[in-house]
Amino acid sequence: MEQLDDPSLRGRPVIVGGTSGRGVVCAASYEARRFGVHSAMPTARARKLCPGGVYLAPRFDRYGELSDRIFGIYRRFTPLVEPLSLDEAFLDVTRSRALHGSGADIARAVKRLVREETGLAVSAGVAEVKLAAKIATDLGKPDGLVVVPEGGVAAFLAPLPVSRLWGVGQVTEEALARGSIRTIGDLAAADPAALSRLLGGGGGDLQRLARGEDAREVVPDAQARSIGAEDTFEEDRLGEEALLPQLREQAERVGRRLRGAGLTGKTVTVKVKYADFRSITRRCTLPAPTDDGRAIYDAARAQLERADLSRPVRLVGVAVSGFPGEGSQLDLFAAAEPVAARRRALNAALDALSERFGSGAVRPASAAGERAIRWAVKPRGKPQGEE
Amino acid sequence: MELKIGVPELAKALARSQGIVEKKTTMPILSHVLLEAKKGGKLHVSATDLDVSVSGEHDCEVAREGAVAVSARHLYDIVKSLPDAQATLKKAQNNYLEITSGSAEFRIVGLPAEDFPALPKFDKVKFAAVSPKDLLAMIELTSFAVSTDETRYNLNGVYFEPAAGELRLVATDGHRLSLARKAISADFGLKKGIILPKKGLAELRKLLQESLEGAEENPEVKLGFVESSAVVARPRVTLVMRLIEGVFPDYRQVIPKQGEKAVKLGRLRFLETLRRVSLLSSDKAHAVKLDLSPGLLKVLSQNPDLGEAKEEVPVEYQGEPLRIGFNARYLTDVLQAVPGDDVLLELADDLSPGVLKPVGDDGYTAVIMPMRI
Repeated sequence: MEQLDDPSLRGRPVIVGGTSGRGVVCAASYEARRFGVHSAMPTARARKLCPGGVYLAPRFDRYGELSDRIFGIYRRFTPLVEPLSLDEAFLDVTRSRALHGSGADIARAVKRLVREETGLAVSAGVAEVKLAAKIATDLGKPDGLVVVPEGGVAAFLAPLPVSRLWGVGQVTEEALARGSIRTIGDLAAADPAALSRLLGGGGGDLQRLARGEDAREVVPDAQARSIGAEDTFEEDRLGEEALLPQLREQAERVGRRLRGAGLTGKTVTVKVKYADFRSITRRCTLPAPTDDGRAIYDAARAQLERADLSRPVRLVGVAVSGFPGEGSQLDLFAAAEPVAARRRALNAALDALSERFGSGAVRPASAAGERAIRWAVKPRGKPQGEE
Repeated sequence: MELKIGVPELAKALARSQGIVEKKTTMPILSHVLLEAKKGGKLHVSATDLDVSVSGEHDCEVAREGAVAVSARHLYDIVKSLPDAQATLKKAQNNYLEITSGSAEFRIVGLPAEDFPALPKFDKVKFAAVSPKDLLAMIELTSFAVSTDETRYNLNGVYFEPAAGELRLVATDGHRLSLARKAISADFGLKKGIILPKKGLAELRKLLQESLEGAEENPEVKLGFVESSAVVARPRVTLVMRLIEGVFPDYRQVIPKQGEKAVKLGRLRFLETLRRVSLLSSDKAHAVKLDLSPGLLKVLSQNPDLGEAKEEVPVEYQGEPLRIGFNARYLTDVLQAVPGDDVLLELADDLSPGVLKPVGDDGYTAVIMPMRI
């Protein structure tokens, strides 16, 4: 991801994580993984393993923005999307095949669209059950596509080590090894009584998984309930004037993320955390749902005025929620409103610029002072070589 | 003050005030009617909520002039129940009002007439005569679409727009819009449209109905505008309402030109179908789906907690199929209000507004925004 935004990082070991003495690694590029760096490892240890790596602090907003966009692509194929992480999800496409082709076709289309629209490479796995789909995806990483043929789940799983199964950690793996059960195939064929002795009961579920029997349905997450941005100031700020530029910048960021995810929301919430860590929220409902940063800012500003601003503030945040779902009434004037139409055209142009030059490359002057954007200055598409 | 008046006449005067007086008691005087006994045998009965006021003149026998304000609701309840055809109203000490009719006697607490807010008085109103029948019909075709959302105050009324030999009334709540037009030559002296408030309209409606039910041969009502108020006058009754200050949205822009897909429907048949099918719509949104295909309109509803309903209506439609969702209420409101046997439903796509109008009558257009399905 960081390599995507900053081409000079491409091909280099990049480690994202807490950069302080106590931080841990959130993500490591494939180059960094060759040095033995992996996520959840203390950053200090990673520095020893990979002293030449580029260490970056995480930018959660940017990841959230990309995540929204990727999930937006997933939802074009089916509403049944169960998120697993920022970019991973189960898609139940059983009923989408009439429209979009086989599971493999859909997987290829998703991969292509994600690459076209975000520049990221994703791996996909297609199978009849969730377990096998997840394993197939992992096997295909970083950019692969593994298709488990219909009826072939057990055969696909059989040669893999038992540690691939959900719920098999180090302890279970060692316990199974004592019974010479090393592959998933071994586990599937094991005598249930012997298995029960090895594991002290509870072996039945594991064995069913090993046989490729995974009845769990894809449970679509009720779509994101809100999209927001919040930032802690380096130094506490006092007074409305000092907060507004940040609020403006956040409103634009939230608008961009809403548009990326194809959502509009009716409720705008402002959060203020004071220097004493007490926080308050103020919210309002707009007459019509919006994805426009300016409209979000106007509402947020009005809410901010309802907060006590005589005290120093350490954090402000803006969130939009109340996304209309199926059965929501459309507004008669929203589409025809000339101002709204102009805002839409402007936002589309700004989004295109952000897409090319980094998020927030163009922003309202009133928000210009906030959050220096180092990744916005390098034009994309000019490889700068391996430095 | 002391006077003798016919009970039915007094009841009529008080009935008119009931819709106007404030139910909330923030300003007690606003829940009162002002009774003024005048020289020449006249009783003036007035009510106001400071935005809408009505004042009527009634014949009576005045024994002594004077004035008092009393609770509108209590006086009305008493008058409706009086045993005799005549009643005597007499102001006693401390603004008490004594009402006697037959052997029944009432004494109710009143307030000094001086406390009653001054009613707006306009000397130079440029009145134009309108047909109560036409105006009432236009109000009934539009007022149901007025927004009840107080935050959208500019939509809390009916837009009244004289335009090139015709009068246009428009109401919208942001989801649907109703436009009624009528060729009317009256000159209201307005440079642009104005917004009549919902509450004032309800009173205007009553007044127009009263005028139509009256004994007059060709009842006439006069309408004039002055200093951000509308004044309605019919013989012996004056209604004044403060106009809504605000900009009415550009309604012309949201009325689709010619709909690509037009389907003719029997008005009552469509109305009954929608009522039946929407019985299983979710409570709040009244969502129904219209599934239009050549020769057939299917009306469907479903509710995860209750079940589903479907009805097929044969239609002479030969265009592209379309599936669109609507709030059934927005459709039935129109079907109930419009005249005629048949209506025309014009649609473009599932996210664009639909148009509903009576066949062969371009005096009315409803625009209804669909629901997402």
